[in-house]
Order: sequence, then structure tokens, then C-alpha cells
Amino acid sequence: MDDLLNDFLAETAEILAEAGGAIVAWEADPGDRERLDAIFRFVHTIKGSSGFLSLPRVTALSHAAEDALDQVRRGNRPANAVLVTAILGIVDRLSLLCDALGNGGVEPAGDDADVIDALAFVSEEPAAPEPAEIRLRREDDLAAELQAWRSIRVPLPLLDSVMTGVTDIVLARNEFARMLREAGADPSTIATFDRLSDSIAAMRQSVSQMRMQRIDKLFAPLPRIVRDLAQDLGKKIAFSTSGGEVELDREMMENIRDPLIHIVRNAVDHGIEPLDQRVAAGKGVTAQLSVSARQSGNQIEIVVRDDGRGLSPDALVAKAVAAQVVTATEARGLTPRERLELIFRPGFSTAAKVTSISGRGVGMDIVKSNIEKIGGVVELRNEEGRGLTIILRVPMTLTIISGLMVRAAGQYFAIPRGAVREILLESSDSVRIDRVGGGELATVRGEQFPLLRLETILDRAVDADDDADDRAVVIVRPGQGQSYALSVAAIHDHEELVIKPAAPLIMATGLYAGTTLPDSGRPVLLLDVQGLLAAAGVDASEAGRNREEAAETEAAARGATQLLLFRDTNQRVRGVRLSVIERVEEVPALALFESAGAIQVQIGDDIFPVHAATLPEGHGAVKLLRLHDGRSVLCYPIEAVIDIVRMPDAMQPSAAPGLIAGVALIGGDPVELIDPFWLMEQYETARAAGAGPRRPLCRLADDADGWGENFLAPILRDAGYRVASDGDSGDETPDVLLCLSDEGDICANLGGDVPVIRLRASAAAAGADDDTVYRYDRQALLDALRRRVGGERR
Amino acid sequence: MMEKLYLVARIADTRVALRSRTIHSVVTVGQPVEVPAAPPHVAGLFALRSRVFTLIDPHVVVGLPPVAVAQGQRVIVVDVADHGYALIADEIEDVCFIEAPETRIAGRLSPGWARVADAMIEHRGASLLVVDPAQFVTLPVASAA
Repeated sequence: MDDLLNDFLAETAEILAEAGGAIVAWEADPGDRERLDAIFRFVHTIKGSSGFLSLPRVTALSHAAEDALDQVRRGNRPANAVLVTAILGIVDRLSLLCDALGNGGVEPAGDDADVIDALAFVSEEPAAPEPAEIRLRREDDLAAELQAWRSIRVPLPLLDSVMTGVTDIVLARNEFARMLREAGADPSTIATFDRLSDSIAAMRQSVSQMRMQRIDKLFAPLPRIVRDLAQDLGKKIAFSTSGGEVELDREMMENIRDPLIHIVRNAVDHGIEPLDQRVAAGKGVTAQLSVSARQSGNQIEIVVRDDGRGLSPDALVAKAVAAQVVTATEARGLTPRERLELIFRPGFSTAAKVTSISGRGVGMDIVKSNIEKIGGVVELRNEEGRGLTIILRVPMTLTIISGLMVRAAGQYFAIPRGAVREILLESSDSVRIDRVGGGELATVRGEQFPLLRLETILDRAVDADDDADDRAVVIVRPGQGQSYALSVAAIHDHEELVIKPAAPLIMATGLYAGTTLPDSGRPVLLLDVQGLLAAAGVDASEAGRNREEAAETEAAARGATQLLLFRDTNQRVRGVRLSVIERVEEVPALALFESAGAIQVQIGDDIFPVHAATLPEGHGAVKLLRLHDGRSVLCYPIEAVIDIVRMPDAMQPSAAPGLIAGVALIGGDPVELIDPFWLMEQYETARAAGAGPRRPLCRLADDADGWGENFLAPILRDAGYRVASDGDSGDETPDVLLCLSDEGDICANLGGDVPVIRLRASAAAAGADDDTVYRYDRQALLDALRRRVGGERR
Repeated sequence: MMEKLYLVARIADTRVALRSRTIHSVVTVGQPVEVPAAPPHVAGLFALRSRVFTLIDPHVVVGLPPVAVAQGQRVIVVDVADHGYALIADEIEDVCFIEAPETRIAGRLSPGWARVADAMIEHRGASLLVVDPAQFVTLPVASAA
């Protein structure tokens, strides 16, 4: 019984969270039948399970909601704000009851008449029932219930124990591999072991995927929050989410939830102006607020964008000075970006007065520190007067990060790869180390960094066994606007590391961010790159280091275009603008198929074109870059993602338009840059051609001087027509005849019952009844064609 | 019956009894890894079946000079607040039922031992201190410096 109840509570909590969002979306578009059906199913499911568990209050509540929704489904009742508010009231009461059930195990006694009565249908004007709308769609309900069977609920501890088990297997495998190597086992044993090894690796992969959840879950409560808040404040907000299919580690999700809600609340409360101010600013009354997620590499980017008033750097400074966060002198020295980042200072609140909604003592400083705690960054993009965009960039999993293993004082340490900007040998020509007044300074290609020696910070002696030639400098960027050089005895390698928190008394040193067990089986400490800085007592802020600052501004001026470097399936290194990549997808090779001579891929319920000539061989996984132009998606198969770099200034453009826009030098190597415009164009045209019923045939008549073929035909083909000229002896009857000479007599006998459009050479029409079209009036020509055959694309 | 079960061991040069329910297991330590800049009673980290444990040197906790940890050393594994720790044991003697009741500590202990000892118990003609392993972990080390 307890198990049943727990299952019910878990399921109901999930349903209620989802329902809140669905109801709000439905309110925005009451005609959305599917949404209504979904909400109906939600309450129907709760009613069903609660009846089984004999929870009378839950049953009564869900029954009332189901009843009201059914009336709407039958067209007997309109969907309006009153109804939606009442249904939300029921959802809230259900949540309350479930909380009580979870704590006490029994349904508390009480009366729900208040919320149920709110549902009562008050019809101001009897809405005429529309018989055409009476559809019950019971089959769909059934199908949806079947869907639920395809997943199961697993308690988290079980999942964690599977994870631990697999980690153990991996460690045992490594130990075993070492023993095999040392014992000099025969090849057949090694081959078998390798096979075992591969399946273990695959299993480890699957297990980490089990911990992943769609970010949808994180977004589900947001529509409700925005709606309620907007209603309280009398604001009109169109809220949208996208990228809900992006997956994120469950634990990570927990850590983002509160910061994200806080940011969204802030946007509604402070960012978006009251109606009158919006009107005065010449903006639409309805504000736009969007939350979107996308994956890039092993990072997830969550973007919260509003079109409100944005941040005013001057006002921020004034407030910061008033709140004694900075002194007036300090404030004068701040760069525009530093002024914006004042909102991250503890003790700062952007609201003129603390409101009940977002001013509850949680400031952006908490948001920032929470995100940084999990290895993420918060970024601001401000357009004063036009809106603010807040970007949260977090690693995909909390537990597995890519780490750089370094050695110091005779032992290994890990550094999060994400914080490493560059690695150089100390003996390299591009590094100069100076002793300046007791401190050390590393100059790398003209840029200066404070130098920290890892042994010194850890209070250990340099290991005598270390080779001085191995000493390396790691340029570390612990956060926005900070960087330093960390000197270590040697660089070991990169590894994917499972990070666990270290014991509190170790974390208290402030030097370590956790422990990890690499494949060697010996624990390694993960360094806290921010903590090292604090321990060394060095100011690593980049402000004032002139060259660096200049580079920053320059990058900002170029819109900080970033380039995703990847290895193509033919092993070539290529790059593409990061902004056109929606995410990197990894799909089984079997998801790709050939249809009508084109390669396509199935991802979830969608089918996208793939830029490939042949299907991939083998049954492994295929990595796809998902290009998105705002309307359609194209997948580009790649071998591996290499890095994300800043877009170089200079590019040698290709001679002719094609897949490669040009070649640029990145890190001294030539890299081919993909032209996403050309790429999308190929598939866009193909799609239009394939999707249309048939492209109409346009015959050019009397094209004596070739003007038709050379000038006109390309325009027509672009517009989606096929073109035949006098010379073509096709026997297909054209859909339209274009007569290129204004004499008329030549075309007269060609026409038959095919519509004819005559073109004239003079710009002026001959008379009012002249139905000819001037031959350089492109729009008139296309309009005329569309009128005759209706085959124009778009 | 379980509450009468004790682990008798010699830690920090002293024979003590540990209540069995406070103990996770007794294991042999692999090669530990140092934790630079950690508090002095942290003797290092070691891995056991994909978990990382923090080694605690009881000698330091009670005010003695630290001992070197050797591979193969026996340690007493305890869980404190969801983290795994291991106390270095000089010797593991026995796990046994002690029927005698726990009594109040008579006499004055050194400050280090006073922090970790809960009671005393009679076992085979000797008085043993009953210690709480969690105290070795959570207590701040006396800052002599």
C-alpha cells in the first residue's frame, strides 16, 4: 500500500507540474484541442488512481475539474480566464493535498467546496453549442495511456547504486588490464578482454544517460509562475520556451531550478515595464519573455530573454553607491561591463523598492554563486531600453567533467578543463617569467598573468624527481574577467572524471572542489581554480591589463562570434559559426535512412534532412550537428567536436559559393569554414521541390535573342518553376506560356488552351487594357504567373 | 544484542572499544594519496570499491605526533554525515560481546582523549575507553600553534 501511495504521489507531482504549464498554454490558445485533451487526461489519470487508493478529496477535486473540462471538450462551455483560474485553483489544492499525504500518509480532512464551486459554470450569454465540435477522441486517450507504459519509475538510490556498481566495474577492469599487460597475456585473451572492455564502456555510457532528464521538466512550472505574476502585476506577457528536449543530469537540474525561477521572476517583476511605460516606449503592450535551452559540446546554455527595459548602467552605479556596495571613486573607474555586473555584488538589489515578488532576499549574487558552484557561468547581454538576456552556461552533468591531470609535488591533481584556456611549456619561447617584487609574472605573447606555483599554494616542496623541462604553465580562467597562470611540474593527460564531493574538512581548505577516481584507481583531488586564487591572495582581474582588455572590446565589437571546430567525417578539420548550431546530437547509425535519394534522420518524432551522400557504415553512434535557421533544421554528420574558438578576423573566401565559405587560420592551421547559408539553401530548395505537388512548367516562346534563357529562366527557376524554351522538344504541355515578343502573332497559334503571358519591352503600358507585362518588372511577372498557375513557391 | 557488540582495537597507542553500530567495516588500506594543506589529522585519501575515503590519524587527534601510513594498514571505516572516513588503527584485536555495562569515565583524561571518549567499559580484566569514531572526524583539532 505504501508503495502504491508513493508511486501515486510521485506520478501526481509530475502531472501537476506539467499540467500547470499546459493549462496556461491552453488559456493562451483555447482552440488548441490537443492541449485540452492533454489536460483532460491529466486530471482523468489522477482521478483514476486516487479512486483506487480511496482518497475521497483528491477524487472529488479531480472529478470536478474533469467534468468542467469535459464540458469544454463537448463545446458546452467556453474556455475563459475564469475557468482557467478555477482549474489552477484545483491544481494548487491537489498539490497541497499531495504534500500532506507525503508527510502524513493520510489524506487530511477538510472541505474543498470553495475551489470546486469556483468551477461552477456561470454563463453570461448562453453559448450556442456547436455540434461539429462534439468529438470525444477516446482512442487518443487510450493511445496516450499506452505510452505511459513505455517508461518505468526507478527509485533514485537504485540508480545511484547502479552507477556506483558500474564505476567499480570500470576500476576493476583497469586493474585487470594492467595485470594482463604485465603478465604478457596471449592475444586471444586480450581480444576477449577488449570486447568485455568495450561493452563495459558502452554500459557506463548508458548508465550516465539514465541520469539524464529532459529540461522540459525544469521549464514546466515556468508558464504558471509567469502567468500568476503577470496577473498580479497587471502586465501582459507572451511566454515561450524552446529546446525542451535538451537533456541534463538530474542533479544538475535541481541546482538550476531556483536560480532559473529567480531570473524569470526578476524579468517579469523588474525587467518588463508596466503597460503604460511600454506604450510610451513605443513597444507592443504584450511583452515577450522566452526561455530556451541548447546544448553545445558538453555544456548546456539556458537563455532567458525579455524585451523589457534592460539594465541602466548609470542607475546601477547610483544604486550601488547608495547601497554602499562600491564607493563613488571606485564606481568612476568601472568599465561599462563592470557596471552591469554590479548586480552580482552581494547586497545589491535592482528594484527601487523591494517587492513582495522577487525581493525576498535572494539576489543575483546568490544566483551567480549557485551557478558557479556547479561549474557554470552567468552572462548578461543588455540592451538598455530594449531588453535583457541572461545566459546560464552549465556543464551537462554535475558528476562527470572533462579534467586536465597535472602533477605537482609528486602527486596528481585535476583541473576542470572548462577553466583551462591554454597550456604552455615553461621553457617555450612564447612564455616569459619575471620576478617582480616577490611575486611572479608570466607574459604570454604580450599578455600578462599573475603566476601561481601549485607547490607554493599547497605548501609543498617541489619534487626533486621532476624534470625541469616538463614544467608547464596552465592559463586558467576561473570566471568572467579573471585569469592567471598556474605553474605545475608536468601535464599528464585529459580524462573524463566522475567527481564526488570531498569530506567537509577537506572542502574547508578552499583549495579543492572534490575528489575523483581516475582510471588509475588512485584518488585524485580536483582543484578549485577560484579557491587557489583566494589562497594565493592574488588579484587576477583582467581589468587594467591593457592588451587583454583591448582584445575583449574587440571581440565584443565583433559580436563575439564563436566558431565550433569539428572533425568532418572525412577527417578534415572544419569550422562553423556556433550560433547556427542548435545542438550536437548523437544518434545510433540506424536512425539514419535513405528516402527519395536523400539521407534523412529520425530524432524523436521528427525527421530531418542530413547533409550526407551515403548512409554511414556500421552500427555505431553518429554525431550530428543540428543547424537551425529559425525555421528548419538540417543535420550535418561529423566525426567529433574539437573545440570552440573565437572567429578569426581574416578569412580567405572561396572562389564560388559552395559548402565551404572560405579558409581561415586557427592556431596556425588552415580550417575550412562551412557556409551555413549555402547548406540550408540546398535543402530548403530540395524540400520545397519535393514537398510541392509538381513544379509547374513554364514555356518560353519566341526567345529569339536568348534573353529568356539567360535572364528570365533563373528567376523563374528560383521561384519554383520548371522552364522549357523553344529549343526543347518536350512533349509535356506547359502550364503557362511566356511570350517574349510583343508582336503577338507568333504566340497566338502556340497558345491553344494554355494561358499566355505576354512580355513587352517598353516600361510604359500601351493602354488601359494592355495586359502585357514589362519584362523587367519582376514582381508583376511573378504575380501574373501566380494568377495563371498558382505555382509560386512561398 | 547488537548494542553489546564492540570492536576492540588499539588506536593512537591506546586500547579502546568502539560500539559496532558506529562502524561500517574494517578494511586494509591501499596506497593513500596525500591532501596538501588539509588539517593535520587528515592522513590522506584512499579508494575502496569506487568510493573515496578520507584517512584520519587518531594520533594527531589525541595530541600525539602523526604516524606514517603504510600500504596494508588496517583502518576502521565509519560514515559520518554521508562521507566515508577511515581511522588508522594500530591493531585490530577482536569483535566481541561485552556484557558489562558502560560506566562514567573515572579519572582525568588528556584533553585529546576527553573529546573522543564517551564512557568506560570492563573487558577481560581491563578498563577500555569507549570512543565515538565520529568525534575523531568532526572535532576541530586543537590549534597548538
